[in-house]
Amino acid sequence: MNIANHEQQKIEDYLSRLRRNLRTLRAAEVDEIIEELRSHILDKSSSEGAPNRASVDAALSRLGSAEELAAAYVTDSVLDEVEVSRSPWRILGSLFRWATLSVSGFAVLVACIVGYFLGAALLLCAIFKPFHPQTAGLWMISSNTGEWELSLRMGFASAPRNGRELLGWWMIPAGLTLGTGLVLLTTRFVIWCARRYRHSRVLP
Amino acid sequence: MHIPDAKNDSAEKWEVQLRKGCLELAVLAALWSGRLYGLEILRRLESDSDLVVSEGTVYPLLSRLKSLGFLRSEWVESDAGHPRKYYALTPAGKKRAAEMAAVWERFSSSMNRLLAPVSKGR
Repeated sequence: MNIANHEQQKIEDYLSRLRRNLRTLRAAEVDEIIEELRSHILDKSSSEGAPNRASVDAALSRLGSAEELAAAYVTDSVLDEVEVSRSPWRILGSLFRWATLSVSGFAVLVACIVGYFLGAALLLCAIFKPFHPQTAGLWMISSNTGEWELSLRMGFASAPRNGRELLGWWMIPAGLTLGTGLVLLTTRFVIWCARRYRHSRVLP
Repeated sequence: MHIPDAKNDSAEKWEVQLRKGCLELAVLAALWSGRLYGLEILRRLESDSDLVVSEGTVYPLLSRLKSLGFLRSEWVESDAGHPRKYYALTPAGKKRAAEMAAVWERFSSSMNRLLAPVSKGR
């Protein structure tokens, strides 16, 4: 196939930008995508004779910008990981990648961090309660101005002044149940968000 | 206030959502009779279903369907001087296509019954 250097360079520039933006995917996967799109651009631009400036431009334009196309690949990969994974660590890893691609991803990441953090805090308080029965638990702490706040404590520090532990030994079943529930609920919420996001994306 | 524009916009959005919902089934159906490469799939969609979609939509979808195990791919040398990546349905992909087609047929025939008076009254 005869293709002028200028057109060849234009295709390579596009594919280089695409490769740069696909860097979060596995190297073998990126190579496959690049080779497939190179083949597509050559086929598409030569469908009515030898590739020329207009046919190469049209083929590239139909693909969309390299950045948008890369985002479509990466987002799909991230959403697949989120949908199939049940491990909070893997979900968080995928969400960090999603957060770099869209505002929605960032919002879901923040909600997920809050959910997992609170769930883990409840579980840890329940686990440490038998070892620090006087200090671990859910505390209500009053200040001198009359305001109060709730604090989950694992019991490594001394009991807070003006504080009252609320749950006693109930901290163990309550912490285990609520903590596990919150972690599971957060995971389900993230999967639901990923599915909603995938369905809401508009065809270019 | 531009109510007619807003109505058109809303109808367009609905049509886009409808096409988007059909795209996965359309791609699987295009591959039902044998392996095709990306550009052939796009042409099959255009010619057999009026489903004109951009390449930037179809290639990521093919990649996703492959990672979900519904498609397999192989590189084949071509006369054009460069290899082409052909896609074919896996057994799981065939099952998925058959299930989706059955749902589609049930749904479209019940919708057609519901829409019959609307079509007559237009």
